[in-house]
Amino acid sequence: MNPLELLPGKIAELVHELSVLPYNNMEGHVTSPWTLTNYVVWGLIALVTTMIMFIVVANREKKQIALAAQSGDVTALAPAGRLVGALEAGVEFIRDMATDVIGPKDGPKYVPLLGTFFFMILISNMFGLIPAGKSIGGTIGGTVALALISWLAFVWIGFSKNGAYGYLKSLIPEGVRQMPPAGRIILGGFIFLLEFISYFIVRPLTLAVRLFANLYAGHIILGVFSGFVALFWPIFEKDLAWSIGGVGAGALALVFLILMYAFEVFVAFIQAYVFTILTAVYIQSSVHASEH
Amino acid sequence: MEGSIVEALVGLSAIGKGLAYGLAAIGPGIGIGIVGGKALEAMARQPEMAGRIQSTMFIAIAFTEALALLGFVLTFLL
Repeated sequence: MNPLELLPGKIAELVHELSVLPYNNMEGHVTSPWTLTNYVVWGLIALVTTMIMFIVVANREKKQIALAAQSGDVTALAPAGRLVGALEAGVEFIRDMATDVIGPKDGPKYVPLLGTFFFMILISNMFGLIPAGKSIGGTIGGTVALALISWLAFVWIGFSKNGAYGYLKSLIPEGVRQMPPAGRIILGGFIFLLEFISYFIVRPLTLAVRLFANLYAGHIILGVFSGFVALFWPIFEKDLAWSIGGVGAGALALVFLILMYAFEVFVAFIQAYVFTILTAVYIQSSVHASEH
Repeated sequence: MEGSIVEALVGLSAIGKGLAYGLAAIGPGIGIGIVGGKALEAMARQPEMAGRIQSTMFIAIAFTEALALLGFVLTFLL
């Protein structure tokens, strides 16, 4: 039997596995909005992991700062261990990004929001790379929720910093606002319409779709290549026979699978970073709306 | 007769899906190439600015890539 004949079935199985299902019943359907799905469960696991990591490290840092203040021994302030060092580097990275993008005065205020996005998405993506694990970015519902939080944040900041009129006025460039009335109304109205769609519809939509499409494509690629390995090295498929060409093709697929896995770890970082830096850029455009 | 028309429609929709993603990937592919190449050029000219250039490059890539990703999602919706 030709192993490739079984591939469409494998892909259908893979797509089923990646869809939103009740967490305890792979065959069942999501019937009510309150069903606990696999993505919700894995998202909660990622959330709890992030919280525990930061609470433990922050408590330890507090203790060390108190110790250093008491004894005057500055070596107590040095990060001890890999976890503390990694988290400190991550928080510093977010803080530098916020001051770089938003500005030294307003930046530090938004570090908690940006840091939560970054670490939550990163750790959830990492859980998504565990076989049978799920990332909240792997379903459009999860990414829409994240993008809505980001959207609410930058729209709220825009309205509260500039006022409703000031924020909406800032959608039209300065030069167009000083044109004669005819140009102001026709060109300004057109630009306002474009910018309004771009600010309030395209921004959250692309935030959500970018994260979802990257992770979903990654999961599909990993699944298809592991499907190739399973079909060419039929350890579990009883009705397929081993062949020399099949073993070679399976080895090639396995090498490619390992390379793609490494690439997906990189994508997990990049997508968390891109989501965070785009949120920072949008917040910057809201904070400084009155200047352009 | 009925069956063959249905089969032909299934095949044509598969071709359409493939074309949708393939065509959506052309422009962003060229665009990301230009962004990456220019960023490399800038970093080679001014290595001390590499950090800022890199983060700006990622933002530019993210905007360009969005078009390809919309095509990817459209492939599943078709």
